[in-house]
Amino acid sequence: MTGRASIAIVAARLLVERRMILYACALSAVAGLARPHELAVTVFFCSALGVVAALLQTPGRYPDLDVCEQSAPLFGRQLARAKGFAPAVVAVLITLAYFAPQFAQPADGTAAAFVIAAAASIASTMVALCATLREGTARALYVALACATSVGAYLIAAFGTSIPGELAYCALVAFLALRQYGEALARFDPVPG
Amino acid sequence: MTILRMREACFHARGASVGPVTLDVAPGERVARVFPSGRGAAVAALMAAGIVKAGSGSVLIGEYDPRVQSAHCKRIAGYVPHAPSRIADSEFERYVAYRAALWSVDPMRAAAHAKLLLERLAGVHEAFAYSIAGALIASPSLLVLDRPQPAYAQQILAAAGPRAIFSTHVAASAAEEFSAAAADALPVMR
Repeated sequence: MTGRASIAIVAARLLVERRMILYACALSAVAGLARPHELAVTVFFCSALGVVAALLQTPGRYPDLDVCEQSAPLFGRQLARAKGFAPAVVAVLITLAYFAPQFAQPADGTAAAFVIAAAASIASTMVALCATLREGTARALYVALACATSVGAYLIAAFGTSIPGELAYCALVAFLALRQYGEALARFDPVPG
Repeated sequence: MTILRMREACFHARGASVGPVTLDVAPGERVARVFPSGRGAAVAALMAAGIVKAGSGSVLIGEYDPRVQSAHCKRIAGYVPHAPSRIADSEFERYVAYRAALWSVDPMRAAAHAKLLLERLAGVHEAFAYSIAGALIASPSLLVLDRPQPAYAQQILAAAGPRAIFSTHVAASAAEEFSAAAADALPVMR
């Protein structure tokens, strides 16, 4: 797949969800004003909104985009990368919005907290993407796994006091989740109920 | 030579199974099939377009098997869904550019092609015309239509030109509008 196709998919997904992204960023900024220096709140809040952004990719919400993507000459893993990039961008935007008030008045550790929260949010979002192609218990389990991912990231960062460790953990989880999503997408049959 | 070859193709997952479907479509040929339910017609069209993989039997699009070469199949087959699109008039240019990017078509050429196609689809409601024009932008060799509107048959056939067409239907009268000739038998899939 060309970069042009990837950019087109990401741009189209972000465009149709622009209002949702705006509301999420506004909510995130308000939360950032209310609880600016609590790492646990930051990580879990940004991850939760990232999970919601991922669940918005569930087939059926935007049927015209779904039909185009499913009928386009793209391989499952290629499509997965492009579709995974859109909620990852949203997750980063939400985290940026959360930290926007703090960036205005920088304090010690703000940049580190941002990196920790963004990495956890992206990893949780990638895991939650796998839930979009499943139903019932499997879907709920993937959402729970996405929440557990952010808990793991927080524990490594807060109690392991290792930012590189947390980044490595999030990168590994995101990589495996994206591969799993690609495999699931290649096998997915968009059949009407 | 066939551009679409389905042999006892069945789809089993998610509710009642669909098929078996057996048919051949030659380049430039029009084949219309009647199915007992809308779901059956939809799944058969999705299998013919390489979007859904047959659980048993075989499907070949061109010389490719959708189970292992789905991207190649999707270059050959253009798929038009039954449901009308939700694309607004103001979004059509962006929709064309989006499809052009996905199919690696030059955007200027795609825009000009889309304009020509819409002229041929004059009289067709935009909700249907946009989907058909979108599917034809990449110039597929095979056009797969899921329960197309029989009232627009002439315009759709004019827009499709000489390429092969496979359409699924639930009413025999609708299938007649899209079949190669009235004399052709229209087998009902059971």
